[in-house]
Amino acid sequence: MNELPSVFIETRNLQKTVQLPSSSLTILTDINLTINRGQSVAIVGASGSGKSTLLGILAGLDQATQGEVFLAGQALHQMSDDERAALRAKKVGFVFQSFLLLPALTALENVTLPAELAGLKDARAKGLALLEQVGLAERADFFPAQLSGGEQQRVAIARAFITKPEILFADEPSANLDANTGEMVENLLFDLNQQQGTTLVLVTHKASLAERCQAQLVMQSGRLTRSTDSGANHAL
Amino acid sequence: MHFKIAWRMFWRELRKGELWIIAFALVLAVVTVVSLTGITESVRSALMQRSSSFMAADKVLRSPIPFNSAYFDTAAQLQLTSARQMQFNTMVFADDVMQLVSVKAVSAEYPLRGKLVLKATDKIVELTPGHVYVEKRVMQLLQLDIGDKLSIGATELILGGVIDQEPDAPTAGFTGQPRILMHINDVAATQVVQPGSQINYRYLFAGTEAQLKQLQTSLEAKLTPSDRWQQVDRSSSIGSALDRAEKFLLLAGLLGIVLAACASAVAATRYSERHRMAVAVIKALGMTERQTKLLYFSQLLLITMLSMIIGLILGQLACFGAQFLIEKWVPDFVPVFSARPLLIGIATAFICSMLFALRPVLRLAEVPSLEVLRQGAPSVRLDVVHLVTGAVAVFGLMWMFSQDWVTSALLFIGCAIFAGVLLLLAALLVRIVKPVAAGQSSALQLALANLRRRLWANSFQLITFSLAIFLTLLLYFIRVELIGQWQAQVPANAPNHFMVNINDQQKLELTTALQQQQLSAGKFYPMISGRILSVNGEMLQEPEIPDSAENGQKSQQTKNDNKRQGFGRELNLTWLSELPTNNQLTSGKWFAAESRAEVSVEARSAERMKLTLGDKMALSIGGQEVTATVTSFRKVDWNSLQPNFFVILSPDLMVDFPANYMTAVHIPAERADLLNEVARQFPTVSVISVSAILTQINEIITQVSVALSVIMVLVFAAAVLVLIAQVQASLDQREQEIAILRTLGATKAFLLKAVVYEYLVLGLLAGGFATVLVEALLSVLQVRLFELPFQLHPMLWWMGPTLGAVIIVSLAMVQLRGLLNMPSAVLLRRALHA
Repeated sequence: MNELPSVFIETRNLQKTVQLPSSSLTILTDINLTINRGQSVAIVGASGSGKSTLLGILAGLDQATQGEVFLAGQALHQMSDDERAALRAKKVGFVFQSFLLLPALTALENVTLPAELAGLKDARAKGLALLEQVGLAERADFFPAQLSGGEQQRVAIARAFITKPEILFADEPSANLDANTGEMVENLLFDLNQQQGTTLVLVTHKASLAERCQAQLVMQSGRLTRSTDSGANHAL
Repeated sequence: MHFKIAWRMFWRELRKGELWIIAFALVLAVVTVVSLTGITESVRSALMQRSSSFMAADKVLRSPIPFNSAYFDTAAQLQLTSARQMQFNTMVFADDVMQLVSVKAVSAEYPLRGKLVLKATDKIVELTPGHVYVEKRVMQLLQLDIGDKLSIGATELILGGVIDQEPDAPTAGFTGQPRILMHINDVAATQVVQPGSQINYRYLFAGTEAQLKQLQTSLEAKLTPSDRWQQVDRSSSIGSALDRAEKFLLLAGLLGIVLAACASAVAATRYSERHRMAVAVIKALGMTERQTKLLYFSQLLLITMLSMIIGLILGQLACFGAQFLIEKWVPDFVPVFSARPLLIGIATAFICSMLFALRPVLRLAEVPSLEVLRQGAPSVRLDVVHLVTGAVAVFGLMWMFSQDWVTSALLFIGCAIFAGVLLLLAALLVRIVKPVAAGQSSALQLALANLRRRLWANSFQLITFSLAIFLTLLLYFIRVELIGQWQAQVPANAPNHFMVNINDQQKLELTTALQQQQLSAGKFYPMISGRILSVNGEMLQEPEIPDSAENGQKSQQTKNDNKRQGFGRELNLTWLSELPTNNQLTSGKWFAAESRAEVSVEARSAERMKLTLGDKMALSIGGQEVTATVTSFRKVDWNSLQPNFFVILSPDLMVDFPANYMTAVHIPAERADLLNEVARQFPTVSVISVSAILTQINEIITQVSVALSVIMVLVFAAAVLVLIAQVQASLDQREQEIAILRTLGATKAFLLKAVVYEYLVLGLLAGGFATVLVEALLSVLQVRLFELPFQLHPMLWWMGPTLGAVIIVSLAMVQLRGLLNMPSAVLLRRALHA
């Protein structure tokens, strides 16, 4: 009999509503899910289904209007902005669709930035090692404007892993890349993820990428309508 | 660790980001303030030093009562240096020849300031007891040589030399008797000083401002009613004039400073817009809002410190340069370092930085981390708080420079109205062309559409460039047109030399001597010194000229505007039976043959003294009181360069008074050697060269123009900076627009034309507004200040718009050229990845 993995993320009756000038709009309704430690989960759905909103709340970047969110056993819904920022610094890594490297910093400096913010020692050595892993050691002193899209995303991936986060959130990591480069980036992401045993939550339109994850959560009109595979408990 | 990140980002942004605009703007602001304040302080110091040498001391106490040694003891206790001086008139004898002279007896310490140079033939000699030293004409009058003896009172003294240079010599030409200098130790032997003798005793003091102030305070209780501190007219009037000049220069320079600060505000706003995503990322990575604020505040602080240091160094170098030039003008000038300009520079840097640039930078910290997933749009609403802090900063700077709430408030309101009017005009003009812009089927229509779309930002550029062009044109037209016009008013053969101290006998001799040289003297005007005491029994209020050493910050005269204002000094009075040709009666009647005890007064002076026809004026002339009835007021044409008088008496009043005469004569430049001949034939007659004075006035005007030119350059630099900041701020949006237009088929030539048209219209508008303003101001100056007839300046009407168009289009093209030449593929890729 398999042991159930420990729960890393859990939401209960999650709801997100935004106020418009003349009305309100409910983006997420009654989301209940659990994601286990070390699991890779894809959140899929059509544009406007609420995927990114859900990702933002799970990562502590946004707050739900109602319901509860737990990350690594901590109640995000009860935390202030600064407390969530501190949690992110220790436990969370990000990979974004548009790479979002700081243009004023070199590749190496972008990679070491989270480590410096977290006050980690040997940030430079760790950064160089990661750049080596993603095949960009020779581009350490290049600025983002001097790198191609694929190279920038590889730097972003290195940045995401430097603090050895417990969880990695990726928002359409290969959407802005051509097929070959995208595949290379995806491979890199999953390789590093496996190496470090990080929990991975990614938002994607790509079926092939979603299928690489252990579980898929399907969003439709703000609701979690379906999930596939085991290891992720959810309520529909 | 966060400071390390801030430091790293600071240097990177400085090289390629918007920080260099902020840096440059702050440097410009600090340089402006430090150089203007420092240069004025150096000039003030030079003039004060020069003025002190005019007094031979820093401060002089005059008294008709013999010296009170307690005063000198007090000065010694305060570690001031002091000297004694006595002045009196007496007869001197050399064999059978006698002469009434003015004697100055001084102690060995004299002079405390300035130089006394005594020469025996070509050798410099020292002031020695037992000797006298004379003006050259005394030797001629008494037929003496060096080494001869002359008697003063009961003693005989040896002629030791000639006075070559004397710091506190009275103004040449208007003195009565020839002058002699002697050692004060010899006075007792002359026995000239008797009870009731009319002697002027002068206590001379030198020291620091603080010491002198303390001296004045210490002696206040001990002084007698007849003791007078000498208000060093020159230095006081110069000091207060310099105060006003400094305030004017700073307020004019303030325009450049405010523009520079606005440039930094625009650059800071763009900086914060471009850093939204960076802030979202670092907040997503775990930086708190407080840490983010600190990070960006550190950057602003670093840039402020760096800019401030560079600005202080450059400003101080400008001051050293000014001091170097001043040393050529005032040979004995001792440069004095003052920390005041540096302190004001530091304050200006922080005010500009914190109140103009800080808010947009700190607001960055409010960017939500969620923007990493969903980019929010920057707020397009007017940041009222930013506007208010900017306004507070502008007002604060105005007050700091003018040190006057009322002036600051008036200036602030004036600028706000000016800006508001320009904005309204700009908005109106753009609306008028709206139907034309609607089509967008040509480059011009695209340009007008862009103007309308960027109305707020463009209006800001319009205001700044209008002001910069306004200053440039104003300066040019004042120097070239107005002053030239004023100088042209003076007839070619107008008198350029005044001859004074002509006695009755010499009138005919002088006329004959000049006729022999084919020159003619003008009319001879009798002259005597006198003072207006009262009008209808009411004493006149004399103007208080503040001693700026005492009241360093007080530069306004305290006067009761309800009282009649006097001249504060003796006047040169004349008496004439005919109205001078360059005078025009404005009311009343000129003296008739039977007029008795009447007086005619210059119109503006009459206003100041609140005179009406029929008033009784009491004057003190030669120690006697004379009363005259005011029977007419005159307008005087001061530009005629003829002898002119504030007060003219009816001839009957002056029958019993001795008179010296004055005349004016035109001596061509090539006949200047005639002056030596006149001096030789008429040694007692003094000649004053008006051309030398006019040359000096021209020099002063040139120097003032140089100062104004410096301000103009600074203001222009600031306006250019604002334009650069604005164009930079619009670059992202332009890039996207150009990418889309190129994709849709617009050619490079079409886009180039559109950009040129856009900035051409902006430049023409800025130049046009400036032209209207300059023409209005020139009219006021023409008529009110220079008293010239009103006339338009046609050249201005094409210079202004052309200048605006050329400058603005050129600057914009330099910045946008790269963007316009970018290949379409690159543009599109950049637009997609934005």
